[in-house]
Amino acid sequence: MKYEFSEEDLKEIDAIKAKYPEVMPATLPVLWLAQNKFGHVNPEVQRLVASTLGLPEAHVHGVVTFYTQYYEEEKGTYVLDVCTCLTCQLCGGYEMLEYFEEKLGIKQGETTPDGRFTLKEVECLGACGYAPMMQVSNETYVNNLTKEKVDKLLDDLRQDKKPEHEKVGMPQRKNI
Amino acid sequence: MPEIFIDGQRYEFEGEHRVLQFIQDLGKEVPFFCYHPAMSAPANCRQCFVKAGQYVKDRETGEYELDEEGNRTIRWFPKLQTSCNLQMVDGMVIHTQETDEQVARAQKDTLEFLLINHPLDCPICDQAGECPLQIQTYKYGPEGSRFEVKKVHRPKRVRLGPRVILDAERCINCTRCVRFTDEISKSHQLTIVQRGDNNFPITAPGREFDDPYSLNTVDICPVGALTAADFRFKARVWEMNQTPSIDMTNGKGTNIDLWTRDNIVLRITPRYNKEVNDHWMPDEARTAYTLFNENRISRPLQKLDGEQVLSSWNNAYATLMEQLEEVKPAEVLLVGSPHASVEENYALAKFANLNGYRKPVFLRNEEKGKADGFLLTDDLAPNTNGCILLGFDELTPAEFSAEAEKAGLIILVHDDFISREVLTAGQLDGKYTVIFASNHTKTTKAADLVIPVTTAAEHAASYVNVEGRIQRTFRAKETKYNKRRLDMEMSEGRLDRYGTNFDNWVNEDNKIDCLPLWTFISNLTGYMGTEITLEDGRLIMSEIASTIDAFNGVSYAKMDENSGIQLDTEKVSKKVES
Repeated sequence: MKYEFSEEDLKEIDAIKAKYPEVMPATLPVLWLAQNKFGHVNPEVQRLVASTLGLPEAHVHGVVTFYTQYYEEEKGTYVLDVCTCLTCQLCGGYEMLEYFEEKLGIKQGETTPDGRFTLKEVECLGACGYAPMMQVSNETYVNNLTKEKVDKLLDDLRQDKKPEHEKVGMPQRKNI
Repeated sequence: MPEIFIDGQRYEFEGEHRVLQFIQDLGKEVPFFCYHPAMSAPANCRQCFVKAGQYVKDRETGEYELDEEGNRTIRWFPKLQTSCNLQMVDGMVIHTQETDEQVARAQKDTLEFLLINHPLDCPICDQAGECPLQIQTYKYGPEGSRFEVKKVHRPKRVRLGPRVILDAERCINCTRCVRFTDEISKSHQLTIVQRGDNNFPITAPGREFDDPYSLNTVDICPVGALTAADFRFKARVWEMNQTPSIDMTNGKGTNIDLWTRDNIVLRITPRYNKEVNDHWMPDEARTAYTLFNENRISRPLQKLDGEQVLSSWNNAYATLMEQLEEVKPAEVLLVGSPHASVEENYALAKFANLNGYRKPVFLRNEEKGKADGFLLTDDLAPNTNGCILLGFDELTPAEFSAEAEKAGLIILVHDDFISREVLTAGQLDGKYTVIFASNHTKTTKAADLVIPVTTAAEHAASYVNVEGRIQRTFRAKETKYNKRRLDMEMSEGRLDRYGTNFDNWVNEDNKIDCLPLWTFISNLTGYMGTEITLEDGRLIMSEIASTIDAFNGVSYAKMDENSGIQLDTEKVSKKVES
């Protein structure tokens, strides 16, 4: 597959570049743009980004590998990041991860044969209050996971129905 | 004048300085890994911590505030500072590890962190013996590690490019190599990938680290993470000995060190010279070490019935004398060489003068478009300007070819004219061809008499670079005719000192049977009955200095003191143009 930016993309990239006094800071947003367009930033896309911005390929590669949110290879349509860091681990993060593995028939780090889901075990996503939790494709958090919630999520995603942002209130003190 | 107090000592300074460099310039020490004087200081190894502060002054009176004991009170900066990027200001107070317990402790703890994932493989690591991490751990490090968990594993034996191999586990992420490609060679080929304890430097995927200066990263790597593909596992550094020299592969005159063991040159590294090459050298010049060891001519060769056979020195002198007598002086064509030193060319010129031959001519050896504005030059020879300053006539290949046709006897030095397609082997037929050379080439194969001469690794002689700077080499390798132990100018490694001919690590065959060109000439004139004495480079240079204007005031002592002497550039550049 040949990776190319369209005219519109290039216009957007110019707009991004205009925000910064130098080109280098545009690396992150342009990588996002590329990932949103191609679904990943594999070495070929990294080269495309580097040549579009006129930056060294090595620099772009370094940035991509630093952030886990950039996908260095092709992933499924939906990337399921299940947190197993301490709080989630204590509240059943591994159980949720294993349930995903069982339901999807894949291990963490793998993609389903139909290319719909990629399952990843990740470190803390900063939502310990709602453990165990997960994130869908670098976007929405799904909190307080249960097996039922996982079932529903997978069914919805199979119909391309993305989960909605969920507002979770913290228990407040009543009589102040 | 602004003043600074380092470990209780007062120093004056002018202009802008960084604390670490200033301390080093004083001959004192603060440990560091990532800092390099030629590059930016990102302060990411955190090893050069010092305690910094200012004496407190009363704003109104301008008097220093004193404590109860009458000492000036110091207002310390809230935390320890990295001295590599700490700008010096007037009245600054610095405490290093020598006087401050807290600094010493901080450095020790930083080292403990750096060593957490560093493999304990010094016994098989090439860097051992010249490793800042090893040395500074001995000096400033902790006695042991409190880290008892499994170390992080990272890629090993990664071929970064044709010449550099990476062991990512040893890397401490000082980023010197990355900064080198960003700031010095400007190829931007390296970056640090991953994060946290998985960090290591590498190229973009699918790209090779083929920077023409890539091996400099091996020199500046403060650990054994980057090693040279053709030197790794060849020798322990303490077995070798290090001799200053000059690069022979181009006209820049890059200052180098030759590393020898048992009279074999094993590697070449750059030697700092602010005026010429700073800390760097091109990769091409490093691979030239093979020229000193391989394909060498040992003992004179003579053509008998169309075939070259090994001869003897006596035979070589006698034959050459005979042949010179057979031709008229006007038919003798002496060709000096930009690949030979000033002293060798001078010896040739003196020989010509003595016997009434025409003054030597020379051809430059150039490859247009090779120069990169840094350390590579179009000129492929180290001493083109030397030939010009000696007053040799420069010939074009066509002119030279015509001259060669006319000559009855040709004496060449080093130049491989046949491979360079300046001459054909056929053109040399029917005339007696003598060549002074160190390595076998197509031209030496075609010559009637081949006199093996010393290379830059075996003689002390000087070379004038493209900018007109004269610099000299030192003897690094023994020949059959000199002894390291008797030659007070040769450096001596551990093996050189303690090895005897009966040890299996000493090989007599590594000494080449060759003579300096001037020694051969001076012996030859002795046999011819018109003796001139050309004893050694140092004396020849003083003779040159007193007889040739351009070399006025040049001496080995002065060259050694100033790492080379800039000759009159006016004279050089004018001649180069014409």
